[in-house]
Amino acid sequence: MKQLATNIRKNILHIANLAGSPHIGSALSCTDILTTLYFDVLKLEDYENRDLFILSKAHSAMALYATLHEKGLLSKEDMQGYYQNDGTLPAHTDKDTNPYIEISAGSLGHGLPIACGMAHSLKLKNSDRKVFVLMGDGESQEGSVWEAAMLAPHLELNNLTVFIDRNNLQGYGRADELLSYEPIDKKFEAFNWEVLRVNGHDYDAIKKAVDFKTNKPKMIICDTIKGKGVDFMEDKLIWHYYIVTDEIKNDALKCLGCQDEK
Amino acid sequence: MRNSVASKIKEIAKVDESLFVIAGDAGLGVWDDFKESKQFINPGVNEQLDIGFGAGLSLMGHKVIYYNIAPFVIMRPYEFVRNDICYQELPMILIGTGSGITYAPAGVTHYVVEDITLASTMPNLDIFSPADPVEAVECFNYAYKSKNPSYIRIAKNGESKIHKDKIDITKPIFLNKSDSKNILLLHGSISDEVSKILEIVDINIVSVPMLTSKFDYDKFLDDFTYIFTLEEHFINGGFGTMLRDKVDKKIHKFGLPNEYIHKIGNRDFLREYYKIDGKNIGLKIKDKLCLK
Repeated sequence: MKQLATNIRKNILHIANLAGSPHIGSALSCTDILTTLYFDVLKLEDYENRDLFILSKAHSAMALYATLHEKGLLSKEDMQGYYQNDGTLPAHTDKDTNPYIEISAGSLGHGLPIACGMAHSLKLKNSDRKVFVLMGDGESQEGSVWEAAMLAPHLELNNLTVFIDRNNLQGYGRADELLSYEPIDKKFEAFNWEVLRVNGHDYDAIKKAVDFKTNKPKMIICDTIKGKGVDFMEDKLIWHYYIVTDEIKNDALKCLGCQDEK
Repeated sequence: MRNSVASKIKEIAKVDESLFVIAGDAGLGVWDDFKESKQFINPGVNEQLDIGFGAGLSLMGHKVIYYNIAPFVIMRPYEFVRNDICYQELPMILIGTGSGITYAPAGVTHYVVEDITLASTMPNLDIFSPADPVEAVECFNYAYKSKNPSYIRIAKNGESKIHKDKIDITKPIFLNKSDSKNILLLHGSISDEVSKILEIVDINIVSVPMLTSKFDYDKFLDDFTYIFTLEEHFINGGFGTMLRDKVDKKIHKFGLPNEYIHKIGNRDFLREYYKIDGKNIGLKIKDKLCLK
C-alpha cells in the first residue's frame, strides 16, 4: 500500500508541475485515504453496481486523478491532460471527464448533500452498494454540511461513510484560528453519527474504521498532515496555492525516494 | 394551479417508481395524501440540502421534483441549482409557488420578482410561467418528459381555468383574437387581467408559458405593428427582456419597476399601485397607440 501511495504522490507532483497548478498540499494530504479506498475498500469491478466515491474537497482532484491512473481507470495521456489548454481534466472535477468521477464538484459543501441523495436512492432500491465521501476540514464550516449532517441519520443512511481530511490548514489560515470546527467528533456524535477518529496516513487504521459495523452513517475523522510525504511541504500553508516548479518537483521526488521519470 | 400540478404528480407517481418529490417544508393541503409515500420527503428548512439531495437522487436515475415557495427554489440556493442541477444536466423539476407578488403582503422575503433573471442565467434551464391550471399541468407534462432541468413558476391555488380546449404551451396561445394589428404577450398568472384590458382596448392577447428555440417568434410577430409584454416580474431581466433578446423587433415591456417594494398590500392592490393591473395596462396601451 505504501508503494502505491508513493506512486500516486509521484504522479501528483508530475501533473502539478506540468500544469503549474495549485493545491499540491491538499492532494498529498488525502493521498493515503484515497489509496486505502481504491485498493482496499471500494468495489468497482461491476461498473453498474459499483460503490460510489464523491470527492467533495474537489480541489484535491489531482490526488483522485493519480489514484484512478494507478488503479488503471484513467490513462496516462488523460492524467497528463490535467489543467492543460484543450486538456482532459479540470482542476476541480467534472463528471463527464471519466466514468469513475461521480459528480462535478469544487464548490465546498456540495458533496455531502448529493451523497445523501445517492445513499437514499440505494436504500429505496434495497441495494447493498455503498457511498463514500471525502470532505476537507475547512469545508465543515459550510452550512450545507450541517444540513446534510442532520438528514443522514434521520434517513438511517448506514450505507454512507464520510471522511474528513483533518489537516487543520485551509486556504488562508488554520481552522482553529479562523473559525474552529472542533470538537468536530463531538458535534457529529451529537448529530447521531457513528464517529471514528484515526491517523489519516495509517492504511490499516483507515480500513479498520471503514470495516467497523454500525447502523448509523459513519464519520471517519482522519488526522492528516497537509503536504504529507514531502518534508518541506508538510504542514505549510503556502502549499495550498504555491506551484511546483521543476526544481521543487525534483526536490520533492527525492523526499519520496523517487527519480524523475518523465 | 398548485393542486392541479400536484394531482398530476401523484397520478404519475403511481406508475413511475422513479418519481420523487422533495418539499421544502411547504405544501400543507397539497401533499397531505402523499407525504407518507416512499416517493416523498420533507427534509425541513434547508434549501441547499434540498437541491443537492435532489441532485444525488437524480444522478441515480430518479425523476426529482422540488417543491417550495418560489423565493426558496432558485434565489436562496442559486449556486446549488447552477452547479448540481444545471451544470450536471440533470432533468430535475423545480416548482416555485407564490410567483411574482402573489404573497406580497408577506413582505419582501416571500415574493420573488427577479427569479426569471436568475433562472435565465442557466443556459439549459427551461422556465415556465403558466397562466391557469390547464397550462400549469401542460407545463409539468412537458418538464416531466424533458431531458433539461425545468423551473415552473405557479401562483397559488383556485385560479379559474382559461382554456377549455387542448393547448400547446410551446407556442403563443391566443386568449383574444382581434382585427387589431397589435399584440400583448402575457407570461404567467397576470393573464387574469385580460378581461379588464379588453374593456379598455381592443388588442390581440396571447399567453406565452415558455420561450423555446423551436418556435420562430420573429415570424409570428411579423404580423403585428405594436408588440407589448406584461409580467409580474421586474421589468428588466424578465420575460420581456428574454423575448426582446430573441427577436429583431421593438418590444414595449410592462412589469414591475426595478425597486424593492415597501408598500404593504395584497397582489391586486400592488398591481394597481404599480399600474400593471388590467385597467392601467389597457390605458397605457391605448395611450401608446394614440387611440382616443
